[in-house]
Amino acid sequence: MASTPTQTPKDPSVFEPRIVAFLCKWCSSAGSDLAGVSRMQYPSNAVPITVMCSGSVSPVYILSAFNKGADGVLVSGCHPGDCHYLKGNYFARRKIFLVQKLLSFIGIEKDRFRMSWVSAAEGAKFAQVVEEFVRDIRTLGPQRKLKAKR
Amino acid sequence: MVDIVNIRAHAKDLLEKGTVKMVLGYQRGTAGVLAEPAFITDAGQADHLVWDPTCVQNLALYLVNEKKAQSHQRDPDTRPIAIIAKGCDSRAVAVLLQERHFERKDVHVIGVSCGTLGVVDKNKLSKALNGRVATKVEPHGTDSFKVTTAEGFVDVAAADVLADRCLECACAYPAMHDVVFGEKHEDRGYPARFTALGQLEAKSEDERWAYWEGHFNRCLRCYACRSVCPMCYCPECVVDSIELMVDPTTSADEKANRIKWIERSAVASENSMYHLVRAIHLAGRCIDCAECERVCPVDIPIRMLNNKLEKEAKDMFGYEPGLDPELPSLVASFRDDDPNSFIR
Repeated sequence: MASTPTQTPKDPSVFEPRIVAFLCKWCSSAGSDLAGVSRMQYPSNAVPITVMCSGSVSPVYILSAFNKGADGVLVSGCHPGDCHYLKGNYFARRKIFLVQKLLSFIGIEKDRFRMSWVSAAEGAKFAQVVEEFVRDIRTLGPQRKLKAKR
Repeated sequence: MVDIVNIRAHAKDLLEKGTVKMVLGYQRGTAGVLAEPAFITDAGQADHLVWDPTCVQNLALYLVNEKKAQSHQRDPDTRPIAIIAKGCDSRAVAVLLQERHFERKDVHVIGVSCGTLGVVDKNKLSKALNGRVATKVEPHGTDSFKVTTAEGFVDVAAADVLADRCLECACAYPAMHDVVFGEKHEDRGYPARFTALGQLEAKSEDERWAYWEGHFNRCLRCYACRSVCPMCYCPECVVDSIELMVDPTTSADEKANRIKWIERSAVASENSMYHLVRAIHLAGRCIDCAECERVCPVDIPIRMLNNKLEKEAKDMFGYEPGLDPELPSLVASFRDDDPNSFIR
């Protein structure tokens, strides 16, 4: 659990990772909600985007997030067997696996792209996943490889 | 050995009987040594057909194009099309059948086996000839080519001039065919599949990024790789975003802010987006005909991206594209024991 309360620092020289989190509506989004209503402390770096199912996350969304400057991308869905649409997360698992392999093949750090299973009851797990992710990305530094130079 | 006379006779027979409307094959090209695609509709022209190691193109592309053209015709000719297919091309046809792009009865596959050889790489050939210009390439024995130049004949070892993909080919014999010419050879004596990929994978993360960044930087975004790919048949490509419903009430804002996943400018970040999206869209569909790499004007090793996903699909999901048109596709299927350990 979060041991130190995180505050948004005003100092621009401190690197604050920006994480895009694609959360499925039925499990992970509810899980993040639970973390919130339970007043759990976890870093505020993740921008949640609710999608109907982790299986609906197109690889283009993930690449586009990196392109628009995300330092990390998280895709989170229901545990295997718990999908609201019965098998959406199984499809997601295959797709995400391939995207992850491709990204690391062209030389993007493996830790920048993560997938997790978080159920609606796992508010604590969601907080922990985000916390670990933010910690890992802090050590990696900003993502510049795929970011559009605009 | 494949005797062209037999292929010509078969094509002529098909066209005379009228069982097919067209034979897709190869004829002598007018520019350079490579053969060019031939669209034979008249039995008298069947004698133009050639088959030699310069027949590099994947003709499955023209099946797709023909299907597109048909959808615009008022009274389309629905007879099947015959296609001369190498091992890789026949797998491309199998993938298109798997995706229900057309039906099995719409295509007549004239398989040709590459045997122990394959097709030549034009760049490797001119390098091996030291500037002499080849006018004809013929198979010579099981492991060399007899190349005709203006100065006479040269014997070139096949391993020196074969295209990269042919060196690693696992399917020189067309698995799916209606009729087949040439025989099957189990051991071709070339490097194993994914040898070149393995060398690239063995590099460090930074080296790999430097490698790909350098290549993506040079991309012109001419989309030749997309145009030549038989699997890239979407009516609107995700990188174009040209089809926006415009009516009198569409505001300038809406037009300007339509969803553009990828900018059209040829800068490194957008180019890498394009190549990654292209690779992902071909996951489990690419049959490694390497046409994308061949047509690339700036020699980006596009094939390696496709190879990587093909290898992962094979190792982790036991999936090989183009072997069985009845199987569900890679990303439209799953198994309970798919890898799960990478997920938190």
